Amino acid sequence: MNVEEPSNASPSKEERIAEAVDMAKVTIDDEQEKKSNIIVFRLGEEEYGLRIDQIKEVVITPRITKIPLTPSYVRGVANIRGNILAIIDLEDKFSLNKTINETSGYTLVVESHEFNMAILVKDVPNTLSVADTDIDYTPAVVTEMHGEQDYINGIIKIDDRLIILIDIFKIITKDDLKTVIGSKI
Amino acid sequence: MKEEELKQIFLAEAQDSFEQLNRLFTQLEKNHADREVTEAIFRIIHTLKGNAAAMGFEDVASVGHLLEDIFSEIRKGNITLTSMVFNDLFKAIDKLGEMIEGVKVDKKVPYKGMRAKLKVILRNLKGEIEYEHTQGGESSDKKDKEIEATLQKQMEEELTESQKETLASEQPVPIGVPLADEFMDEEEKKSKITFSDFVQVPVSKLDTLLNLVGELAIEKDRIIAQGASVGATNEYTRLYRITSDLQYSVMGVRLVQVGALFHKFHRIVRDVASIENKKVNLDLQGTEIEIDRNVLQIISDSMIHLVRNAVSHGIEGPEERRKKGKKEQGTIQLRATSDKEYVIIEVIDDGYGIDANKIRKKVVEKNLATPEAVASLSDDDIVKFIFEPGFSSVDNVTSVSGRGVGMDVVKKAVDAVGGKINIKTVLGQGTTFSLSLPSSMAVKSALLFIINNTEYAIPLSFTEAVISVKKTSIHKVGSGLVTTHLDDTITVMFLRDIFDCKDTEELQNPQLLHRSFDQIEDSEAKINIVVVSVDNKMIGFVVDRLLQQKEIIEKPLGKPVENARFISGATILGNGNVCLVLDANDISEFLFKPTFATV
Repeated sequence: MNVEEPSNASPSKEERIAEAVDMAKVTIDDEQEKKSNIIVFRLGEEEYGLRIDQIKEVVITPRITKIPLTPSYVRGVANIRGNILAIIDLEDKFSLNKTINETSGYTLVVESHEFNMAILVKDVPNTLSVADTDIDYTPAVVTEMHGEQDYINGIIKIDDRLIILIDIFKIITKDDLKTVIGSKI
Repeated sequence: MKEEELKQIFLAEAQDSFEQLNRLFTQLEKNHADREVTEAIFRIIHTLKGNAAAMGFEDVASVGHLLEDIFSEIRKGNITLTSMVFNDLFKAIDKLGEMIEGVKVDKKVPYKGMRAKLKVILRNLKGEIEYEHTQGGESSDKKDKEIEATLQKQMEEELTESQKETLASEQPVPIGVPLADEFMDEEEKKSKITFSDFVQVPVSKLDTLLNLVGELAIEKDRIIAQGASVGATNEYTRLYRITSDLQYSVMGVRLVQVGALFHKFHRIVRDVASIENKKVNLDLQGTEIEIDRNVLQIISDSMIHLVRNAVSHGIEGPEERRKKGKKEQGTIQLRATSDKEYVIIEVIDDGYGIDANKIRKKVVEKNLATPEAVASLSDDDIVKFIFEPGFSSVDNVTSVSGRGVGMDVVKKAVDAVGGKINIKTVLGQGTTFSLSLPSSMAVKSALLFIINNTEYAIPLSFTEAVISVKKTSIHKVGSGLVTTHLDDTITVMFLRDIFDCKDTEELQNPQLLHRSFDQIEDSEAKINIVVVSVDNKMIGFVVDRLLQQKEIIEKPLGKPVENARFISGATILGNGNVCLVLDANDISEFLFKPTFATV
């Protein structure tokens, strides 16, 4: 792709604007400089990632109370700092091998005003700073997936790792739950 | 005391309005043609006038009334403002402020001069248009009519004014001439800044506060339980008392008088009655009863619905009432009474009542139940069909007893706050809807029990009794189970059966409700049943084990599980666990709906 601009020679704002008028290349370079912080965790045998702004905190999985008549990937609700959150098991949702132990694992609390939920993970996740260029937003697997799996945001390839970047809010859609719960209008 | 509280609320609102008016007037002075500001001023004055009239503060009401008239004309574009008028309008607003202050300290402020002055302004401004019109020589019909209307309105107004207040001198007062005693120490008064004794707080802040207090209460329970095990109970009595006091104080802050809602019905009843050409008298009782603000908000639409229905379908026309030997004027009574944790609000009319036979016909027509089933039900039970979702429709039951529209919505709202709705009707004498609502949404007493090693709670408002029976006294009837409680045959269900279902299809399994029952081998085994009453139907919920009775703070389940079936919310127990709260209405609906659909 493009040659990376040396980072110490970042042009002043005015210069940039001037340049931007002439060539669109500057904006492309800008994007290359952008880094995203990704929370990486293991589900089954794969590595998954979430953008850090979708996660509020990581806690030790509290005791979970099952809710009747919810899909199996909704493990129940739990009390996390006085908030009652739905606990989501993504291994179940994605039909992966079960590696998470409910009593010894960790829980990622999702940052949202709309949803009260958290995700079960096996180990304490780590954060990874990923340049935007390392994220492939349009691999065939993403573009070919329609509806059902559009929660896959992109694929991150660093060294030999392959991390599936997902959008947590697209995983839990209303339709998804409605079919199983039965609409209680 | 209560009167005093109302007055305080009025004052807080009035002072707020006064400040807004001052701000808006300054804006209007800069740009006389600002329509938005004119509208806003009109609205505020209108409300202020209305409130003052309702409270009986004639002085504020009457000056407000004149200002409203002036602005009503400005709004319609009938008169335009001039700078000269503005000074007087400002003075009028100041006078309003003074009078509001006067209400506060119980001091009468002379206002007749100002009133007369405003009248003159109104007359002069109107005079100007008249003059302009004749000058312009345009005499299109429309304009003539406008003038006529204005003139007539003016005359009417003068008539009513003079009827109302015979003491006032109707002599016009020239603009700009100060009236000695009234305007004397104006300067001194103007510079005073008043502070309201009330603080307006967004409800969301109160919600947060209540949540925090709720958590504190839970934490308190935990610590006290811990302390009890070490034998340090005394240490905690103060903690206990303070947290309880705090909890009740915060709950108290959220309480409002039902009058806040009731008083709005004067207008609604009047409007509906005048559309329907009926004479209806509204009688309010127990307006001082206090209830949680959120509860009142949630049921307010339902109340409007009930009252509207009572006027338009309940109360008969004057003619008919006379024939029946009733007073021409029908009465609708809104009555609030408090009963322990509940507030009972009744909407009582003395109209037609509901004809059970018409409902019967309709139920069969709508295919909500078979004719046989309908025939076997008592009148009281039949009338309850009006709350069925399928029952309501655009074509009313009949023009006579058409109360069908949207009653299911009313019931939903009442259910949502954990209340109950009942209906009593006597054909020809009237109908009473009684809503039994929790006075506070946050804290409720509940019974805790265990199913499948999971704790559940059910609000005590649903529970009737806790019984223990042998397997032999439970019998299979059709696809369900029944037992006898206090000589009544009640439906029994093992909650485990529905909670163990994987999906909704499994819920439709006809053998579902027999499962756990069939698994019990020992016919002498004791079975714990919590008897609940939903819509006056008794249901026995079989539970694994009963725990204690407890005060809980129910929180709704958020997304993505907000629609979970059979669960209305959850609470956090002293041990930090989440405990689900049963939605008895939903379970009852599940139990009894299919029978209506299939028989």
